Amino acid sequence: MSKTIFELRDVYFSYLGKFPALCGVDITIEQGSKISVIGANGSGKSTLLHLLDGLIFADKGSVKFSGKELSEKSFNDDNFSKVFRRSVGLVFQNPDVQLFCPTVKEDILFGPLQLGMDKEEIKKRFDEFVAILDIEELLERSPHQLSIGEKRKVAIASSLIINPDILILDEPTAGLDPLTTRHIMDLLIQANASGKTIITSTHDLHIVEEISDLVYVFSRDKKIIKSGQADIILKDTELLQANNLVHIHSHRHKDKTHVHPHAHLDHHPGS
Amino acid sequence: MKNSGNFVGRSLMGVLSFLKDSVFAEDYASRNGFLQGLDPRLKAVSFALFFITAIFLKRAELLILLYLICLALAVLSKINLGYFLKRTWVFIPLFSLFIAIPAIFSVFSPGKVIATLQLHYFQLTITREGLQAAVLFVLRVLVSVSYAVILSLTTRHTELLRVLCIFKIPQVFIMTLGMCYRYIYLFVEIIENTYLSIKSRTGGIAHYKKGQKIVAWNIAYLWQRSYVLSQEVYSAMLSRGYSGEPVILDSFKAKSGDWAWLFLAVIFFLTLLYLNGKLI
Repeated sequence: MSKTIFELRDVYFSYLGKFPALCGVDITIEQGSKISVIGANGSGKSTLLHLLDGLIFADKGSVKFSGKELSEKSFNDDNFSKVFRRSVGLVFQNPDVQLFCPTVKEDILFGPLQLGMDKEEIKKRFDEFVAILDIEELLERSPHQLSIGEKRKVAIASSLIINPDILILDEPTAGLDPLTTRHIMDLLIQANASGKTIITSTHDLHIVEEISDLVYVFSRDKKIIKSGQADIILKDTELLQANNLVHIHSHRHKDKTHVHPHAHLDHHPGS
Repeated sequence: MKNSGNFVGRSLMGVLSFLKDSVFAEDYASRNGFLQGLDPRLKAVSFALFFITAIFLKRAELLILLYLICLALAVLSKINLGYFLKRTWVFIPLFSLFIAIPAIFSVFSPGKVIATLQLHYFQLTITREGLQAAVLFVLRVLVSVSYAVILSLTTRHTELLRVLCIFKIPQVFIMTLGMCYRYIYLFVEIIENTYLSIKSRTGGIAHYKKGQKIVAWNIAYLWQRSYVLSQEVYSAMLSRGYSGEPVILDSFKAKSGDWAWLFLAVIFFLTLLYLNGKLI
């Protein structure tokens, strides 16, 4: 029987107490699973991920990590805080936020050093990730000198080097070319195969099936409107259309104009 | 395309491009020269000795010798001498000449008269002691600025920041400086892009009142962006285990050549101080 790592019950969260971002969310995440969260802009996906990473806390409802309630108070306990931060890694939507050190090398090493990991282990994992991601020539450069694809690779490396059991990714493939997207997808699939739990928020419907056992769809009223297996969710055109995840596409063949929903499901780089 | 009538626009783009070139260009720091090859910590210590020497020397010829050594180091470090001189001499009038000029007159430095200037009812007398003090002051500034420029040109900014650790500057302060360096570029780009987008929509000419409004809004927007960014960056730090006291990896490794250089710098420092004491 798989272990429950996150359990959210009737969670509410609002910014500044007046801008609701989550309204009654229930989610259960099992260890080693692949979860995707999809929804339109502003539907609460990023807020949910920050909540799972213990960066913000629910106004109402319960968020449990391995059976322990996540609250500001629980992070006052240094031991719990360290265990949690070593177990959960978050890749932010904007890599400029995550890469705050003067060089790429310092950024990748930041996490393991703060968590007091063994220097030998840090070095071993650092060399391993530099080789896997092929970022050797970027190490002494400043993050501002990198392309968006390079920044994302470094951001993922800076989270993966901690070797978290749970990896949370906020739009990991946004704005990337197909080859870099494929590279990142392979990395996530490999991480999941080695036992890690992968939680991804995305708009890219063509990557959802590959990186999800279970998909949660957020509606514009900041609630989970539906959840289920990826193939079933992706076939529900009506649901996707109602939640701004597909659009009506019009084009002409000879003298006829065709109008149909367009979900970007056929642009998979590997298909 | 340049618009000769758009003074403010050109000035703004000029300032931004100067910032990018001067703060972020690491062309010389990445060259394979003498100073670039030294351990940044020992290099910083040796340069601190040069700065102290410049402060204590009271003989112009010794300051000139120290300056000539700086020029030799620039050549050995593959720095274009013309570029180096231009970059150092531009600061000299700014930091010293305007302060030194009054010192040559008898009002501030009484002594042996060498020349007298008659300006209507005023008489200004230049004294030998005043002239000597002014020359010494300008030379001191010249030497200090030259060594500071050569140090910043031949050392990556990231290494300079890490070097601050050896001067016992708190790690959290160094980290904050590093973040400032990291994010200045981001904001420079935002300002540049905002200016270009305004230009593309206004056609380059806007009524001054409208212009004031646009600038005010953009300052507010930039402040808001930096505030939000600071909160997000802090979250990203927390997410990776930051708990108020940053830990860094000391990756510097001094070789025997670096220690030899420091030894030479110490010998040179002591010799100059000895000669200075003897010549006075």
